[in-house]
Amino acid sequence: MSGIYRLQDPLAQTYDVIVVGSGATGGWAAKQMAEAGLKVALLEAGRAVSPKEFTEHMPAYKLKYRDHSPEIARTRPVQKQCYACMEYNYEWFVNDLENPYSTPQGKPFTWQRLRILGGRSLVWGRQSYRMSDNDFKAASRDGYGDDWPISYADVAPYYDIVEKYVGITGAAEGNEMLPDGQFLPPMKMSCGEILLRERVKAKFGRTVTIGRAAVLTQNHNGRLGCHYCGPCERGCSTFSYFSSPFTTVKDAIASGNCTLITNAVVSHVDMDNATNKARGVTYVDRLTRQVKEVKGKSVILCAQALESTRILLNSSTREYPNGLGNSSGALGHYLMDHVVGGGAYGKLPGLKGKADANEPQRPNGIYIPRFRNTPTSGKHARFIRGYGFQGGADMDFNFGAEGYGTQFKNAVKEGEYQISMGGFGESLARWDNFVEIDKDLKDAWGIPALRISMTHGENEAALMEDAAVTAAEMLEATGAREIKLQASVEMPGMAIHELGTARMGTDAKKSVLNTFNQTHDVKNVFVMDGASFVSSACQNPTLSMMAITVRACANLIDRFKKSEV
Amino acid sequence: MKRRELLKTGAFAGAVAALRPPFGQGQDAKSNTGLTPAQSGVDASNDLAAPGWKPKFLDEHQNETLIVLSDLIIPATDTPGAKEALVNRYIDLVLAAEKPEAQKAFVNSLGFLDGESMRRYKTAFRYLKREEQDDLLHALAYAKAGSGWTGEAATADPGHTHFEFLKQQIARAYYSCEAGEKELGWDGAFAHGPYKGCEHAEGSHK
Repeated sequence: MSGIYRLQDPLAQTYDVIVVGSGATGGWAAKQMAEAGLKVALLEAGRAVSPKEFTEHMPAYKLKYRDHSPEIARTRPVQKQCYACMEYNYEWFVNDLENPYSTPQGKPFTWQRLRILGGRSLVWGRQSYRMSDNDFKAASRDGYGDDWPISYADVAPYYDIVEKYVGITGAAEGNEMLPDGQFLPPMKMSCGEILLRERVKAKFGRTVTIGRAAVLTQNHNGRLGCHYCGPCERGCSTFSYFSSPFTTVKDAIASGNCTLITNAVVSHVDMDNATNKARGVTYVDRLTRQVKEVKGKSVILCAQALESTRILLNSSTREYPNGLGNSSGALGHYLMDHVVGGGAYGKLPGLKGKADANEPQRPNGIYIPRFRNTPTSGKHARFIRGYGFQGGADMDFNFGAEGYGTQFKNAVKEGEYQISMGGFGESLARWDNFVEIDKDLKDAWGIPALRISMTHGENEAALMEDAAVTAAEMLEATGAREIKLQASVEMPGMAIHELGTARMGTDAKKSVLNTFNQTHDVKNVFVMDGASFVSSACQNPTLSMMAITVRACANLIDRFKKSEV
Repeated sequence: MKRRELLKTGAFAGAVAALRPPFGQGQDAKSNTGLTPAQSGVDASNDLAAPGWKPKFLDEHQNETLIVLSDLIIPATDTPGAKEALVNRYIDLVLAAEKPEAQKAFVNSLGFLDGESMRRYKTAFRYLKREEQDDLLHALAYAKAGSGWTGEAATADPGHTHFEFLKQQIARAYYSCEAGEKELGWDGAFAHGPYKGCEHAEGSHK
């Protein structure tokens, strides 16, 4: 049977709130609503997850293919493109044969997804950055696109709440593009990173800071500090990085008000047309294929940007023939994913040392906040918006050493000091980047699949071209040698930061959601994930997604208290 | 989407499912647990040392050639080398599961080595004297430079490309096995305390 963690028939009652998706935002929505005393049904398309299946302490030589399995590509040719889909954990990722989507010819898109309790929060990169009004109000500054209908001041208190609970390691920098937050002690920088920080500040005035990451540097909220074993994406036996099953979802269930239903593949929102309100959702049991309904007074979609939009598009009725909440026609449009592929790497021969297999593995890197098109830098001649860099520098084994024999064996051990940085650029919101339902394609549960149509444009290409040059100049200033440029534009989806497709706005004719993530059209349907983003900024979005979710939940709780739902 | 449509397609999907292995089954999983072998605790580290091992993909000559080559590229020193670490068996295992183009690439590179050996010595690589094997590998192991007299650029060097490809396959196999991890100095522990980072005085890196 599916995992239903209450004794009563969970489908017999009407919940106050149905939350679809148990990842970073779904966990928060469930926690906030359940702890407020509301009855919550939390639906997850995958199975439950147990710490017993974590493999972060299993050496690769115990695996059949030592983590180079060619077999994964048979069932997960798309998922395998994700760095975190490994021989260790590939079953957490969707089976691509069961979960198809289509793309137009010449417009490849890689959609990397997990279906398991916690979703992508189990394997995410953990980088956590606030957005500023340079992002929320970017359109007012450069004339492109639309401002968000909310500002930094609206979200700042909720960033505080999320950061204090999650535990974000980082250093305050006072940077105009990257607001500081509630930080746990920062992780240390390596010698090469310190050198980079000093030289880059001196020559270019740019900030190099330690990454802000959802990893504990000290015991926090009942979780242990990081023990620096390295591969977070295989699970963490001390729960030191933030993932929803062992934090927010755990809290929601502990409240006694949350019913978790796993293996529930939601197909659509059920509407009561007479009242123009949702009355619940329908799902297909992943294992039995039985079709079931959950009844609720409100529905919060946190299924991941494209999955939430897919559910709305599949929820069309006579009144909403083009998808629920789509009277504006904007549903599915303005798809974004950060552009990646620009950067540089090299070697720092001036730094001595020896590679060490027993060095603690820091699950974090360095970050260089956006320095193009800032209030200080002024406008760039060739592009709008900008990019941030992630990277690192450390002594590592030299597996690329030349020669062979004993000389090669010794050279590998000797190691070399390597340094690299890669850009994450803003993806402009464009109407012609969109998703729709592919009428000829269904998933293994009979649910119509998406057709994803997205390309990066000239501005994104210019960002990555510039990122390659500025990365090289910063490496050069640090004393790097054998510098190699990378100025490509990777296919959309590679950043795994899908955003937009159900944007928020004050004008119901141009947007899907209002400022509290409520659909303009149906007052008890909400989308609380990356789908609501109006612009992408260039920072990793999960922290902002969580803060916006907590803000929207606070508003919804108030409305429940006022009996407005 | 209408519930009726979903029931219809769901029922159809159920009927199809009954005719084939259950969805969610891992490519190598014995049961429908939704766990990878690693997550199930399977330890495959001794599989390749099983007595009576035979190659699944390579033929006998290719396998023996690979053993000789791997022993030259990563020899035993005060630690075991690639031959003792059975890297040929691991490479054979991976190749057997690889796509045809990857299989072909490896066989081509191994074939190139034998071709060069035949061209120079009229003998397959595995049967050469040790000095001859070294001579041949030295000719392939380093990238060609252009002319120091005319300034003419070096032409493409397929020999070096084939050598590097084989070397990287062997190195990956070796450094991912237990002997390789020990060669790098790993003590077998997974946590080594907090990351200390740079401990030098501020401004000391000039």
